[in-house]
Amino acid sequence: MGYIDATFKTFGITLKNLFRKPTTIEYPAVRRERAERIRASFALVHDANGEEKCIGCKFCEWICPSQVISIEATPKRESPVTGKKRGYASDFTLNLQACIICELCIQVCPEDAIIMTREQEQPGFCREDLVLTMDKLYANEKKTLAWHTGAALMEMQNPQRGQEKPAAPAAATPAAAATAAPAPTEDKPA
Amino acid sequence: MTDTLEELMLNPVIRALFWGLVMVTAVMTVTAWTTWFERKFAGRMQSRMGPTLVGPAGLLQPLADAAKLLQKEDLIPDSADRFLFNLAPILTVGFALGVAAVVPFTPDILAADLDVGVLWLLALSGLMVFPTWLGSWASNNKYSLISAMRAVAQGISYEVPMVLAIMVPVIMTGTLSLSDIVADQVKNGWLIYRMPFTGFFAFLVFFLAGLAEANRIPFDIPEAESELVAGPTTEYTGMKFGLFYMAEYIHTLLSSAICAAVFFGGWDGPFAPGLHWMLAKSVLLFVFLTWVRWSFLRFRSDQLMDICWKYAVPATLALIPITALYTVWHGGAR
Repeated sequence: MGYIDATFKTFGITLKNLFRKPTTIEYPAVRRERAERIRASFALVHDANGEEKCIGCKFCEWICPSQVISIEATPKRESPVTGKKRGYASDFTLNLQACIICELCIQVCPEDAIIMTREQEQPGFCREDLVLTMDKLYANEKKTLAWHTGAALMEMQNPQRGQEKPAAPAAATPAAAATAAPAPTEDKPA
Repeated sequence: MTDTLEELMLNPVIRALFWGLVMVTAVMTVTAWTTWFERKFAGRMQSRMGPTLVGPAGLLQPLADAAKLLQKEDLIPDSADRFLFNLAPILTVGFALGVAAVVPFTPDILAADLDVGVLWLLALSGLMVFPTWLGSWASNNKYSLISAMRAVAQGISYEVPMVLAIMVPVIMTGTLSLSDIVADQVKNGWLIYRMPFTGFFAFLVFFLAGLAEANRIPFDIPEAESELVAGPTTEYTGMKFGLFYMAEYIHTLLSSAICAAVFFGGWDGPFAPGLHWMLAKSVLLFVFLTWVRWSFLRFRSDQLMDICWKYAVPATLALIPITALYTVWHGGAR
């Protein structure tokens, strides 16, 4: 009799499903709310003075596990804006084809120059589309940026650090504050 | 004009040609949209949506599928027997459509009112295993061949209960003509509930055998997508594969139409014209068939043979003498 019971049960389950609303979300038309910490593509950002933040230190190039970042740095020269001597990257390439989206480059960046974007879709018609050149990376600055910059992540993982060194230069930049989500910064004691 | 048309239709050759053409066109069209229906139905049963993008509610999906299949490269393996390889898909659709000839939709809409319609039906569905075997033998692929062996074993095994099951309506009505079987049901009640109630069990076995003959889930061991890729059709591409696929659907559709005619009184029903009743019954049976397909898992090979030889055949062998004795007791078929 077990077989017969099971047969009717099976019919019942499929029938129940037949009249249920499908769980499908029709993707291009309907887009789900993505998680706050979603990581998609990358952007290089400028600081409040309109100057490139990247100093060409190559930390990200060294830490990248899949070695997709390649940087050409220029010797230090005077900044046209602040007049201080600092380094610049003359070329910055990030190859998304092999990128594992581990976010290590963001964590290691001392200047919060590289930030991830929150835009989910990044399709391309050819492989070249997936190689982010310096121009594309700076163009991505205008997209929705994630809150997690290097400084914000450090703050979140080790809040005491901010207390010990209240004047840490990385945490105080206005661009980082603008893109930072409220949660981690509010935890910081005043 | 109408007189001459009616006179023309009296000519059996012209009548057969006309209804044959109508039947083939209708069956092919319905088959195309059957695939849409099945995908939609299956989708909803699995909490998905099925085709939605091509046309309203995905209704133009069959056309898109056909266009896609026609664009595919026509691959023939080097070591294949080209003639047989090309012949098999044509034969499979031919045999499947051949069954449509004797399906009585109404007393008038009927391509060929054969006196031995039941025999023709059984013969053609028995032949259905040949194109499968032919195609996989000709494609010279060992996996195709293995699955073709399964398909033939299954097809031939289920032929036995199918023949025995359809003998019950034949004994009860005393005729081998499908249209006479329906006419008898119009007069004396549908076979599904008529005393001695063997029609119901015969229907169950016939339905099961029909599923097995069409290689549908839960009897799709020869095809078994998840294990054998596509079984006998592994080497086929494009529209040749499409023809095998189409044959499966035609077979399924027609076996539900035949079930409707033989066991559910065909065109018999109140209020509406006979054709509507016949089509409604066929469609309902087809929906049930699809429901079965998307509810159950595949049987194992030995379970499949067990069901056939240990349950279906003995059951039908018992049904036949019961029916025969009852019919003789009540003074023969009415």
